[in-house]
Amino acid sequence: MALTVSYTGQLSEATGVTEEAVQIAGGERLAGLIATLGEKHGEKFSELLLDDSGNLRSTVLVVLDGSQATGDLDSILLDDVQDLMLMTPIAGG
Amino acid sequence: MLSESDKATYEWQLDVPGFGESGQARLRQSTALVSRIGGLGGPVAFSLAAAGIGKLILAHAGDLRPDDLNRQILMRHEDLGKPRVESARKTLQSFNPDIEVEIVPENFSEENASRLVDKADIVFDCAPLFEERLLMNRECVRRRIPLIDCAMFSLEGRVIPIVPGQTPCLACLYPEIPPHWKRRFPVIGAVSALVAQIGALEGIKLLAGMDGVCLNQMIYIDASTMRTRKIDIVRRDDCAVCRGV
Repeated sequence: MALTVSYTGQLSEATGVTEEAVQIAGGERLAGLIATLGEKHGEKFSELLLDDSGNLRSTVLVVLDGSQATGDLDSILLDDVQDLMLMTPIAGG
Repeated sequence: MLSESDKATYEWQLDVPGFGESGQARLRQSTALVSRIGGLGGPVAFSLAAAGIGKLILAHAGDLRPDDLNRQILMRHEDLGKPRVESARKTLQSFNPDIEVEIVPENFSEENASRLVDKADIVFDCAPLFEERLLMNRECVRRRIPLIDCAMFSLEGRVIPIVPGQTPCLACLYPEIPPHWKRRFPVIGAVSALVAQIGALEGIKLLAGMDGVCLNQMIYIDASTMRTRKIDIVRRDDCAVCRGV
């Protein structure tokens, strides 16, 4: 399955792209995808998303097909998702 | 009631559906606090002045530096080394002498939060630090005052209209200070101004009682492609700031 993943703010800086197409297997969850993307994009990318315990930071917004995801974000099932945004906070002016 | 002078100045915007004389009158009676008047806050204040806001309160500490001038469009080269708020007031008053402009040469802080927000009907958050943003959010929620939170980074930006009790507050989205945010950020002034205009318009719609304010949404723009998205955002049940409001 193909998924479009968009990156904003410092995540976009860390990956060097604003979005990319990613192939995922059926049953893939957000935590697994972030681990895979972390291997691809490196330590800085993972640091921006994950805290010292490996959990998604509370200040990262996860947006699935245009709506903010809530609850246990790490376990979000991506099967029916076409568009995933990972948003780190910005405050520039 | 609008004065003849107001009618002459704002004639063309009185024709905008949903705005009209009543919207103009409401705007005329409103006070907006703009916190930081740099690349975002400057164009916000400029457009509010153009639209005929009654009063602007501009809060920003420090003197004008050369590296401000790629984006801080209220400033003037001749004012380098002088307080930013004074340069901004001069520009705004020469542009629209009919509005009141109060300047505060301070950044938003615990010490001045209550004093600044107390006088405002709406707050425009254009600060570069989350410490200021979250403090402003807390104060606006406490006083039930709308907050238009504007932010940008490089070629992207976002605006979140916050109405306490109706929408998520900033702390619902960012419950703590993000550890990786840095004071210095990449910026082209045109991107700041673009984001600022979205924020100014959302504020004008709120103040004038117009429909179409993007409540419960974040307006996000990627200026590298000019793709704009409206993202549905949600209140956090356990938000330490707006829970119970």
